[in-house]
Amino acid sequence: MNKITDELYERFKTNLESVNGTCVRASKADLGKAVAGIFTEAGIPDACVVETPLMKEGGVIEALESAGIRVCTDHIRLNAETVKGGVSENQYGIADLGTLVQGRDVIDERIVATMSEYYIGIVKGSTIVPEYDDMFDLLSALPEIPGFVGFISGPSRTADIECVSTVGVHGPLRLAAVVVDDE
Amino acid sequence: MSSEELKQEIRSALDNTTLARTLGTFCKTYPARRENSYKGVDFEAVREQIKTVKSYAADHVDELLPQFVENCEKRGGHVFVAKSTEEAMEYIRQVVKEKGVKSIVKSKSMASEELHFNKTLTEDGVLVQETDLGEFIIALEGNTPVHMVMPALHLNKEEVADLFTDYTKEKNEPIIAEEVKTARKVMRERFIKADMGVSGANVAVAETGTVFTMTNEGNGRMVGTLPKIHLYIFGIEKLVKSFSDARHIFKALPRNGTAQRITAYISMYTGATEVVTDKEADTKEKKEFYAVILDDPGRRQILAEPEFRQIFDCIRCGACLDVCPAFALVGGHVFGSKVYTGGIGTLLTHFLVSPERADEIQGICLQCGRCKEVCGGGLQIPEMIMKIREKDMENHPNAVKKFALDAVTDRKLFHSLLRIAAVAQEPFAKGQPFIRHLPMFLSGLTEGRSLPNVAQVPFRDIFPTIRQNVPNPKGTIAIFTGCLLDFVYTDIARDVILDLNSIGYLVDMPMGQACCGCPASNMGDVENARKEAEINIEAMNAEKYDYIVSACPSCTHQLRQYPKFFEEGTPMHERAVTLAEKSFDFCKLFYDLGGCADEGDGKDVTVTYHDSCHLCRSLHVTNEQRELLKHTKGVEFVEMEDHDNCCGFGGSYSVLYPEISAPILEKKIGNIMNTSADVVAVDCPGCLMQIQGGLDAHGVENIKVKHTATILAEKRGLI
Ligand code: SF4
Ligand code: SF4
Repeated sequence: MNKITDELYERFKTNLESVNGTCVRASKADLGKAVAGIFTEAGIPDACVVETPLMKEGGVIEALESAGIRVCTDHIRLNAETVKGGVSENQYGIADLGTLVQGRDVIDERIVATMSEYYIGIVKGSTIVPEYDDMFDLLSALPEIPGFVGFISGPSRTADIECVSTVGVHGPLRLAAVVVDDE
Repeated sequence: MSSEELKQEIRSALDNTTLARTLGTFCKTYPARRENSYKGVDFEAVREQIKTVKSYAADHVDELLPQFVENCEKRGGHVFVAKSTEEAMEYIRQVVKEKGVKSIVKSKSMASEELHFNKTLTEDGVLVQETDLGEFIIALEGNTPVHMVMPALHLNKEEVADLFTDYTKEKNEPIIAEEVKTARKVMRERFIKADMGVSGANVAVAETGTVFTMTNEGNGRMVGTLPKIHLYIFGIEKLVKSFSDARHIFKALPRNGTAQRITAYISMYTGATEVVTDKEADTKEKKEFYAVILDDPGRRQILAEPEFRQIFDCIRCGACLDVCPAFALVGGHVFGSKVYTGGIGTLLTHFLVSPERADEIQGICLQCGRCKEVCGGGLQIPEMIMKIREKDMENHPNAVKKFALDAVTDRKLFHSLLRIAAVAQEPFAKGQPFIRHLPMFLSGLTEGRSLPNVAQVPFRDIFPTIRQNVPNPKGTIAIFTGCLLDFVYTDIARDVILDLNSIGYLVDMPMGQACCGCPASNMGDVENARKEAEINIEAMNAEKYDYIVSACPSCTHQLRQYPKFFEEGTPMHERAVTLAEKSFDFCKLFYDLGGCADEGDGKDVTVTYHDSCHLCRSLHVTNEQRELLKHTKGVEFVEMEDHDNCCGFGGSYSVLYPEISAPILEKKIGNIMNTSADVVAVDCPGCLMQIQGGLDAHGVENIKVKHTATILAEKRGLI
């Protein structure tokens, strides 16, 4: 896979922003700093983190800890009940919609993306496809559909009271994507 | 329930100011927001795809169903195919009992409502929590959804705050953001403790055993992430063949449903996924995953009836509700049943909930056709509602309605009735049984409108006196006047003839013609409609003429429907086809025959245009009349807002449901008055009558309503 182009990244970012999410781009080396920066700025005191090799390489946990944020890496189901932040990696992205795609059955990743107040979704730039249809083509071509596939487009929202659009119901109140430049 | 009770429901819905405000605002802003969400996406192509994959699935349901079962089970799920809603509920009760389930969190599932899921399990002592905010609110209120996608639209934030205060025993302020926080807090507790999560599926994929759920609030994800047991409930109509097929549905669903390009979440579960079974010990195991699929007689009946089979193409997006003028006024508590709402809800109610309720509410449909334009599955909603109306009419012929329609079929009797009515004002008084049930022509009797004068001399007697000066005629056209032109608006018929003469065509009026049959069709009276078709086919003798012209789009539409009343291959059918193919609405025919010219007296007049439902949505004529008007010298053309919104006339509708018809007309009058127009051009005498009546009732004297044919004749100096 190729590194994400500036054009595709901008498209992803604009579309995510249009559904009330935010987006930053980081090199692998700066990943930890980027994640910690977002939480620090938002005043998030603690976070559940489901680590992956990419996140390890990017020093996410160290960066969060050195920013004074308490990090939980186990008992996620229990900790997520009280902890405010959540960080996990997503398998894909869709530029045209600003969508993060969870494409594997790892329960802790689903928990942090669902229960946290502020969720940061990390995604490799090379895995962001341009269009919605590309995503379906990709998923349909997998030898087996993963047990869980979840499209996440911005924080949770509702318009159930008087049709007034309000962000943050049962899922996260805020959502940021960190797009990592990989080769 | 009597129609009086339904009227009572209508009145109280109209009195609900919250409903009027939220639904009104929503429905008003919806079309533009929806369109915006489709930028870069070809809606027509998407719905074609949806139709293709959904109808394939309907045709192959007996293959896809076992395939889904096999594939879901292969991935660790348990599937139960229920042959009735009772069987489904019994199975679920068993599971709940065996697994010792004490509390359940539910994300939206309409199918579960068919089972009376909440009630039954609550009675069994299980704590059942609706977690979708709107569903939660109406559950607290003890009500049913008012809208398929937005269930609590009828309540304002103050009422919600009161319900929350009662429930949480803490004071809740009427601030929406705060209420949303309360819901989050209350529900979080429940999600964490629940033994079982229940979901509804938007789509179920046979080839992979995958179920899809789309939500915005994240409750769907909670339900699928936290509890150890996960139960899906859905009907066989949710099946599609492949994973790839599912994509089309999610292109239209969020755009049509809430005018979003995508919802916050789309979750796809294939079999039993991982879950934390003991949070203290951090143990992870596969969850217990159940799918209960409704394969009940109601659904099978839909499949068995060729005319209704397309209901399986519905994706439950709710767009048909959002554009429906009747729904916008009364909402889904009236125009719906406890489970399904609106036009599509009427159909689903007929098959899946209560045919009696469907019979009652089918009459609320104006047959305006707006729903069809936006329908995500391309369903012929009004046509299907009409079929239900016809069935209802067949089973419960309403003596009074039937009398009125019989009378229309007999044109002599009809005209004498009209004349009697015109002479003796007495029967017009509101509440007089005779007149109230006469079909469309006398709808001016009801509130908010004035009655047009019934012509002293019908057009058929005027026709022979018209001098047609056409030296070298290019052809001969037969005029079909329809009742309103024959008996009320005789001038329009004359103007049509003069206009056509002016471009070189002679016009003949076959005298045996009767009512087109549209009112009978509208009321579901097929027998009379066919009778009228026969009379007119004989009378019009279409073989003799180059074209048939009508200046009433409802008549034109009806003439074009004639072939379906007769069996293919019969001489009558053949004649019906000939007639149908030669029949055109005035503006279309006049334009096509070269009538568009830069002619006119040049005197300034500002004209706006109201599109009649039949002309724009059944006959698809929207451009020709505008071109004709714009090319007329002196005419300045301005569009009004919502120019193609129904005026509330809807044939007999304004008589049967004046409560709904009147506010629809109000909106139209408001839009007209917001333009600077001197004249409202229309192509339908029914709309003319309705709008003129509305303007009169407002005391507006400086705006005239005129048929396009009349405007052309006037400006071109033909009269
Ligand atoms: S035809 Fe018109 S009134 Fe009837 S359901 Fe459709 S939109 Fe509503
Ligand atoms: S009938 Fe059409 S518009 Fe209405 S819910 Fe179904 S798919 Fe949507």
